[in-house]
Amino acid sequence: MTGSIYALIALSLVIVFKSTEVINFGGGEIVMISAYIAMFFLILFGLPYLVVVPVTALVVFVIGASFDRVVLDRVLGRHRPGQDIMVAMVIATVGLSYVLKGTVRLFSVSDDVRTLPPIFSTDPIFIGDIVLSQQDIAIFLISIMVMMLLFGFFTFTRIGKALRATSENPRAAMLVGIPVRRMRTLVWGIAAALAAVAGVLVSPKLLVSPDMGGIIILAFAAAIIGGFTNVLGVIVGGVVIGVIENLVGLFISSKAIAITPFIVIILVLIARPQGLFGGAVPIKKV
Amino acid sequence: MTTIRHTIRAVAIATVIALAPAAQAFDPSSPAGKYKDPGITDTEIVIGLHAPLSGRLKAFGYDVLYAAKMWYDMINKRGGIWGRKIRVIIADDKCSPTELVGIHKKFVTVDKVFLLHGGSCTHSTVAAQEYVTRNKIPYVMLNASGDAAVIPPTRYVFGAFGGTQRTLGGTIVDFAARALKAKRIAYISHDDEYGAANTAAARFTAKKSGVELIAVEQVSRRIVDVTAPVLKIRAAKPDAIVITTYTGPAALITKKIYELGLRVPIIAAVQAIPNPPSFVKNVGNMKALANFYYGSPLNDLTRGPKQKWVQDMYKKAYPKHNRPTPFMAYGVPSAQAIVYALMMAGPNPTRESFVDAMSHLKFNTGVLAGPIELGENKRDGHNASIFIKFDGKKHSRMSGVYFNKFVGQK
Repeated sequence: MTGSIYALIALSLVIVFKSTEVINFGGGEIVMISAYIAMFFLILFGLPYLVVVPVTALVVFVIGASFDRVVLDRVLGRHRPGQDIMVAMVIATVGLSYVLKGTVRLFSVSDDVRTLPPIFSTDPIFIGDIVLSQQDIAIFLISIMVMMLLFGFFTFTRIGKALRATSENPRAAMLVGIPVRRMRTLVWGIAAALAAVAGVLVSPKLLVSPDMGGIIILAFAAAIIGGFTNVLGVIVGGVVIGVIENLVGLFISSKAIAITPFIVIILVLIARPQGLFGGAVPIKKV
Repeated sequence: MTTIRHTIRAVAIATVIALAPAAQAFDPSSPAGKYKDPGITDTEIVIGLHAPLSGRLKAFGYDVLYAAKMWYDMINKRGGIWGRKIRVIIADDKCSPTELVGIHKKFVTVDKVFLLHGGSCTHSTVAAQEYVTRNKIPYVMLNASGDAAVIPPTRYVFGAFGGTQRTLGGTIVDFAARALKAKRIAYISHDDEYGAANTAAARFTAKKSGVELIAVEQVSRRIVDVTAPVLKIRAAKPDAIVITTYTGPAALITKKIYELGLRVPIIAAVQAIPNPPSFVKNVGNMKALANFYYGSPLNDLTRGPKQKWVQDMYKKAYPKHNRPTPFMAYGVPSAQAIVYALMMAGPNPTRESFVDAMSHLKFNTGVLAGPIELGENKRDGHNASIFIKFDGKKHSRMSGVYFNKFVGQK
């Protein structure tokens, strides 16, 4: 069940990567700040989850889009021919992670670990020897629903198609009149909103703290398993990493859970660098 | 106040009698020894006092540090020690080993303190050991369990005034076996030195008590998904579950135990529940706490009659410190130990004579479940726990005081 959330976070990484070729190392901290924003609306205003999820997604959408406009746009603007712009862009996302973490630490709310109240009842459901929690089932279904909405958006809407065109060939997209710069900002916003939904869904299950961004390593593992450019593969990768984590805990040792994503990443990169569902390693024409 | 006065008087008399031969060895008239060490003058003794005063581990140290300061202030109001007032210099170590060592160096080289007092987290206090030993500076921990810093003992480091992790592991299994009549105990701890120390004592006590320690799970402090370890515990069919992790993982585990349909008593270590209302919120389901207990090194509930004097004293000293954490009273015993040792070290104490005096201390604190006992080869101060039933709202003290019998290494 938790794997579906890893898949959501991994998706937020993948759509940014597909559109901009930037790996977002600030993704975990976007999840973290979303949890704090949701906590703010839930506890201070007493709003229900039905309102908190979209409102948080909207606020974080603005944060993601603003990061592109205010930071990445300027980094790109200072790009000189011959310089490797990707390094500067990736470092900017590392900077984003530190800024978000530092900002949260300014507030005393971050002094203590917290969790968000359960979205649904945590009472167990027994099916023979199998135990499921209503909350886990609900989180899984919501994650699937969000993924389907995303699929529908990219497949059937005009903006979605424009975004795909931009990610596949920005120059050609520009030639047919697609505002590539605006599309890039939109992608950052959507990716942040996706991470925000994941953050709100995962927070009742995990602890909310300035360090919770560490969950991003599981999303990276999911993305690498699935192939960094294959959306469906990433979803499967998320579920697979969730299952592997628990199998390792069950049959090897609880101590090994923490290192599982790193081992998975190394093994996949050695055996099949393009991921289990990725195509052949792309060769870039220069 | 009468209780405090009686406690101080009783302890002072007992200590003076016990240490009379040692005290005679100190020659107060020796001019060479008068101000041999820095941080001491005719009018004051300077102590470097530190704890996590900010950050996510603040709950373990903030009120504790101020409780220690409160004790020093009270001693100063009564005229000080041998006519000298105690002056403390306070620093925030954030429970970080690098910060703590940096603070120690500053205290010693810039502020020229006589001794160091502080530390609420084991890993940071362990880091301090090398510097204080090399420079022969007495270091008295505030409330860190600090197993690796006090076992094996070294001359200048004293600690575990709230008990070591060995104390915790030993007493918690003893409680599960004797009070809850558990025969098959599942045990979940951290996968570090901290967890290894309490697990070793737990295994020893289980063997002694004739109970089985099953499904011993060790998890990372940063664990995200606790499903696998709790599933393993469920498969082992325990009749009690012990949790000795920090509060974050402990809340996740408690929640997951309920979600996976396990309905057996849960006994948590004191570090799992530094702030009970916050723990309840993090568990998020009162039903998960239907059969929940936690250990404490104190002699009573924080609002119990035996703790009233220290709670009242703190409230009076710091009227603006609302709702101190349950750890607050832990700050008093280490400050008491320092005061007694300074008294015993005579009118012209040196760092060495202070350490000698510390090495002979044995006293009742008035706040802890058991006595503080230090020795030439014993630097961990406290070794007892009480247990409390907590249903999410009400704390009820269980009868009895539990003593750890495990003294060995890992």
